[in-house]
Amino acid sequence: MSAADVAVRPRLALSSNFQQGLYRILAAALLCMVLSGLSEAFMTQNNILNVLRQTALLFLMASGLTLVILTAGLDLSVGANIGLSACLAASVIKTSDSAVLGTATGIGCGMLVGLANGALVTALRIPSFIATYGMMWMLTGITYFYMAGETIHGFPPAFRQLGIGYLLGIPMPIYVMLLFLAIGTFFAQRTVWGQQVYAIGANPVAARLSGVPVPSRLVLVYTVSGAMAGLASLIILARINSAQGDIGEDLTLPAIAAVLVGGTSLFGGSGTVIGTLIGALILTLVLNGMNLLQINASWQPLVTGVIVLLAVWISTRTRRMNE
Amino acid sequence: MSDAAAATTALPRVPGVAFALIVLCTGFAVTSAGFVTPTNIANILVQSTILLLLALPMTLIIMTEGLDLSMGAVLTLASIALAIVIISTGSFALALLAAVAVGLCFGFANGLLVSVLDIPPFIATLGTLGIAQGLSLLATDGQSVVGIPRSIEGIYSGALVGVPLPIVIATLAYGATHVLLYQTRFGAYICALGGNREALRVAGISVRGMLILVYLFAGLMAGFAALLMTARLNSAHPTAGIGMEFDAIAAVAVGGTSFERGNGWLFGTLLGVLAVGVLRNGLNLLAVPSSAQVASIGALVIIALFIDGLRREP
Amino acid sequence: MKQHLATGVAAAVVLFAAGTGFAADETIAVFTKNQTNPYFQAVRVGAETAAKTLGVKVEQYVPTKPDSIPEQLSQVEDVIVKKPNAIVFIPVDYKALVPAVEKINAAGIPVTNITDRAASGNFVAFVGADDYAIALATGRALLKAMGGRGNVIILEGVKGSLTASDRLRGFTDAIKEFPEVKLLASQPANFQRLPALQVMENLMQSFPTIDGVLAANDPMAIGAIEALDGANRKALVVGINGSKEAVDLIKSGKLVASGDFNGFIQGCLGVEIAVRNLRKESTPKEIILKPVVIDATNSSPYETPVEQRTCPTLADMVSQ
Repeated sequence: MSAADVAVRPRLALSSNFQQGLYRILAAALLCMVLSGLSEAFMTQNNILNVLRQTALLFLMASGLTLVILTAGLDLSVGANIGLSACLAASVIKTSDSAVLGTATGIGCGMLVGLANGALVTALRIPSFIATYGMMWMLTGITYFYMAGETIHGFPPAFRQLGIGYLLGIPMPIYVMLLFLAIGTFFAQRTVWGQQVYAIGANPVAARLSGVPVPSRLVLVYTVSGAMAGLASLIILARINSAQGDIGEDLTLPAIAAVLVGGTSLFGGSGTVIGTLIGALILTLVLNGMNLLQINASWQPLVTGVIVLLAVWISTRTRRMNE
Repeated sequence: MSDAAAATTALPRVPGVAFALIVLCTGFAVTSAGFVTPTNIANILVQSTILLLLALPMTLIIMTEGLDLSMGAVLTLASIALAIVIISTGSFALALLAAVAVGLCFGFANGLLVSVLDIPPFIATLGTLGIAQGLSLLATDGQSVVGIPRSIEGIYSGALVGVPLPIVIATLAYGATHVLLYQTRFGAYICALGGNREALRVAGISVRGMLILVYLFAGLMAGFAALLMTARLNSAHPTAGIGMEFDAIAAVAVGGTSFERGNGWLFGTLLGVLAVGVLRNGLNLLAVPSSAQVASIGALVIIALFIDGLRREP
Repeated sequence: MKQHLATGVAAAVVLFAAGTGFAADETIAVFTKNQTNPYFQAVRVGAETAAKTLGVKVEQYVPTKPDSIPEQLSQVEDVIVKKPNAIVFIPVDYKALVPAVEKINAAGIPVTNITDRAASGNFVAFVGADDYAIALATGRALLKAMGGRGNVIILEGVKGSLTASDRLRGFTDAIKEFPEVKLLASQPANFQRLPALQVMENLMQSFPTIDGVLAANDPMAIGAIEALDGANRKALVVGINGSKEAVDLIKSGKLVASGDFNGFIQGCLGVEIAVRNLRKESTPKEIILKPVVIDATNSSPYETPVEQRTCPTLADMVSQ
């Protein structure tokens, strides 16, 4: 990739991203139509709110991850981060009875983990795949040790509002989702730092040569990814009213899938935060549909796998057509 | 040159993984009575064979700047296929054929997705992971498949001239991969796939064909790994291979193969697999609490790569 | 610098070993399935408590990947090298771990099986609960509380687990005893809270009237209760485990009952039997704990956390 490509890319990238988003929204809409045809329970207010609430959680996990993947990196420690942050936050809430303190702990823990990931990738120059893989094991070990097989349960109602509360008839997590959608999109598209993140993903050498402080931007994206994991952990805590050592298991791959189904490229430099939202929505719709239609749970991994492949194939085709 | 720089370039031939392996072995030998016994050493080697069979083709795939996340799930499905076939037909040959066929099918699918449909390997194999896992669950409804003739167990517990069969199989696999990579033209093409595809195109070699072959090779090895797994468990279970691909990737990375630039070191992969095996075994012998074991695995991976990072030029 | 690193690591490993100590007394190796399910933590606590009373040492072996079959196999192989005096064993999968049991038998180490009955192998004894009977009794408790009529759903455990299938049978047989009760759906939720919450939410969309929920364990029961609360719907719920959280909910009236399936006693008895066997004292071949359903009337003894409980003796159990 030459410097010339980088110069041309931004103009094309914008419309390409727009096209990508459009295709995805169409796909989501199609899914909705199919599901409402197949199940009368789909188009009910309760179900739609459920879907949006579940999407919100997945989106929050995947939103920070989007920034990491935009830099052509990966964060495999998202799930383990959520696990540790949730357990620490739960513990603080129980002992101090303060929702504020607990929230600060959760997000703080997430940020620290993200910071550590960023340090491993920039200062120790360990490839992000391996650095976050190693971090995942370490975090899991710490969580297991800390929880010692116990469950922490029963949080103050004020805190629980974050997960189960409603405002104007709409569940709170959806507001949080919209908030971070706005923040994330603004950051990515409208701030210099955001543009620098795209540049690093598209061509790290060119970015560095043009004055982008690559290491500190990388540390930033990993820290943000960690902070969002911390936030997601709080919402999970609020929803299920308990914390256990395995709370973060099996959350990482779906988060990565949401980002990829949303059109962000693993090679970096291309993708959007709203794309991740739509990706999360599509994945949630598929699961919701399978549950409503009472399809054997054994089919879920298979169907999800096929959807992911389809979505990315379409994404790659359209990207090629634009080049 | 500063002292530190001189020191690091003075000891460059000891890669991070070898260093880690030496430290671990010495440490465990000193602190645990049972570590250096023939039984235990044989255990470590035999326990590492399945992972090695996955890590060898993974090295090649990573050298082509790819990844195969489906290997664990394909291994699982292949072992289920093997179990079902041998229970219903009693024929070992057919069963092995079934396992290898499953592996090759998924290998072919992966290769197609990556080379023809241009889907990034991470996602392509993530998708096939889901498909393989789904098929495993559907075929078994979550239950173990039992009733396998005892003769199969002999493949894992038997020995050839005193050497446990799995080690024989693993050695053959290693030898074959070594020859493939370092002494055939195919090997040279694989190196070119990682970082110099233009050269292949110029030479008229089909890049797509080569990629498909690499993933086919992974599928083939997954089939053989399934044989070992089924023999080991004397049954097949839909969760048996979960997560092994990540262990394989970690072993390859710890062993020094880089994710970019297509540098590959097969022997390093072997060391990486052994390092993980030694670590787990030693910690078990010392009865270290499980949470500390979990954390140590992460620490090993990070430390090994950190040491490697010290050796690399900025 | 590398030399410092080497010395540091070696020193750390030596300190580790010094910490674990050299055991002159009897050592029992205890195998459980994972680190996160409170049931297995209760087993481990029970084992440690019994060990302290009997003056033996317990070493815990848990796979680093939860419920990993190959890993438990490797741990068994490694432990055999150490030759503990005895083993107390919960197989990750009751069929797939048979080769491990055979290895233990071949090495001549006496082994006691608890919780999940292994498909085959030589054991000193089996200590377990009758999952079927517990589920049957717990199911009956719910259906009686429902007045013998209404719509119910079942939340199943992990597919392929013996515990899950036995409890499912118990629930369905309980339903058969009440002809005016209708089973709307039976879905797996993996014995976990969040999946149960989401499954329940989805089922509530499809079925406007759900009167009762039979959950195969407490985390799933509590997940169902959360889902009901979130949708402002009511239903009677039962679970199985007798966990502290469940007991709290029983007292507050949100949970009807919970079948007592707590690992503490099994951990205690497993170690006791192993030790008695080593000391050549007589041991029963099998102990199946009687099904007890915890509800508002008998919940007090279950409020003590497991760490503070004392082990029942074999004499107590056999005389029941």
